[in-house]
Amino acid sequence: MAAPVPWACCAVLAAAAAVVYTQRHSPQEAPYVQYERLGSDVTLPCGTANWDAAVTWRVNGTDLAPDLLNGSELVLRGLELGHSGLYACFHRDSWHLRHQVLLHVGLPPREPVLSCRSNTYPKGFYCNWHLPTPTYIPNTFNVTVLHGSKIMVCEKDPALKNRCHIRYMHLFSTIKYKVSISVSNALGHNATAITFDEFTIVKPDPPENVVARPVPSNPRRLEVTWQTPSTWPDPESFPLKFFLRYRPLILDQWQHVELSDGTAHTITDAYAGKEYIIQVAAKDNEIGTWSDWSVAAHATPWTEEPRHLTTEAQAAETTTSTTSSLAPPPTTKICDPGELGSGGGPLAPFLVSVPVTLALAAAAATASNLLI
Amino acid sequence: MDLRAGDSWGMLACLCTVLWHLPAVPALNRTGDLGPGPSIQKTYDLTRYLEHQLRSLAGTYLNYLGPPFNEPDFNPPRLGAETLPRATVDLEVWRSLNDKLRLTQNYEAYSHLLCYLRGLNRQAATAELRRSLAHFCTSLQGLLGSIAGVMAALGYPLPQPLPGTEPTWTPGPAHSDFLQKMDDFWLLKELQTWLWRSAKDFNRLKKKMQPPAAAVTVHLGAHGF
Repeated sequence: MAAPVPWACCAVLAAAAAVVYTQRHSPQEAPYVQYERLGSDVTLPCGTANWDAAVTWRVNGTDLAPDLLNGSELVLRGLELGHSGLYACFHRDSWHLRHQVLLHVGLPPREPVLSCRSNTYPKGFYCNWHLPTPTYIPNTFNVTVLHGSKIMVCEKDPALKNRCHIRYMHLFSTIKYKVSISVSNALGHNATAITFDEFTIVKPDPPENVVARPVPSNPRRLEVTWQTPSTWPDPESFPLKFFLRYRPLILDQWQHVELSDGTAHTITDAYAGKEYIIQVAAKDNEIGTWSDWSVAAHATPWTEEPRHLTTEAQAAETTTSTTSSLAPPPTTKICDPGELGSGGGPLAPFLVSVPVTLALAAAAATASNLLI
Repeated sequence: MDLRAGDSWGMLACLCTVLWHLPAVPALNRTGDLGPGPSIQKTYDLTRYLEHQLRSLAGTYLNYLGPPFNEPDFNPPRLGAETLPRATVDLEVWRSLNDKLRLTQNYEAYSHLLCYLRGLNRQAATAELRRSLAHFCTSLQGLLGSIAGVMAALGYPLPQPLPGTEPTWTPGPAHSDFLQKMDDFWLLKELQTWLWRSAKDFNRLKKKMQPPAAAVTVHLGAHGF
């Protein structure tokens, strides 16, 4: 009967190994979760162990120096964020796990920042909140909305966790809305509230799809078009007015135009050939505030196509050769239109080979030629 | 009439006949007529002008009333002031108002508000305030006339006072100073809200009256300037 003996032996060994394993690795209980304030001191007792029990502490699997111990208790002074972790204490000789603490170092919440806005007037408004400084530990927020004495429901935003939405039941109300928020975490609690009239929080989203186009054959014009923001539910009954601003990229000063209706405008005083940046904002005609500026559109006004390069070069060569062979003509002769106009030649070569004053005269000459 | 706390106007039989029996709006010459559009536009413009005027008037008046009435966060419960015409309305109801009802509600509201404002004027302490209030009342009367004009142009009858009511203003028994001020506060608040609402009302009317705007594009020919 040799076979059963080794099998039994293996079974016993396996069982023993299992016991040792579970004793070593599985916790006596789930780790105790503890929140402590940043900068404070904390003493972690090793579960129910006696003060004078011989234990070893580890954090996240790394041994901790024995000088942090006070008996079997772990003392941490001046807690920093880095102190957060899983602390475990083991019986020194048997490595039996006595106790585990999941320590989170954080702060109590400061007064939250709350703001509300209606970009979907008259449908409703939403409120946003955030903490001015992080707490590093989980916080829960509770928002309540009062309209006079009536409690209104603030529906949580499906995507953003610090926003909720309120639907207007009545319009043109003289009673203010009061939105209160309270925030709490394991270390503390705070709250704030804001009160406002229906009209004061109206602020549309910026206009969409702002497009600027040059206008053919018009070197000083730019045609700008945009659309009312898609979030504004009823532009017919609640029309928006618009504010347009534009400037060439090279300048800092904006030009402004306010438009009471329509979603298009033509700029007529653009600097020729300069790239422009254009933005539009929207506002309800009567109430609320202006939206943020839209995404910028860029455009350069139409410029005349430069003539074909080879002809220009040839003309330049001939002109320079002719001028060099001539004696410097007296000023009066140069200003005579008849002398200069060589039958519709391009202006450029003149500018290249002739000083500025003469170039102006040449320009005048060509212009007068065209008019004739 | 019951004496309700804070409701000084409950005591006033305040139907100002002068308003109800406005001189007949001169019949507009209907030849080559542009329709009620321009007068709706004018009414809209008046509401904007009044709203602007009210902002400075209300600021001055609330300062005169003193704290807490002139504090921006002042948010009292709406007690009393029962007879003040309220601008607040359910969204869907407002949207579906027919033109006649829309105009009538505006007309009736401002008739009442003007009457109350005149009462306010009588009690106002400083000459400066009385002047501002009087000026505002005149402008408000202009608005009423304008609304009446629109209603006449559209063929709607002006709302008439209930028969048998006396066109007198009878002062009620002495009223707590604070409660009186509360009433004044709500009057100004309601007036401001009505002006905002009217702007929206007349916008809606304007849109309905306008023929669909023809898309006019001006093509500046390529004359190479």
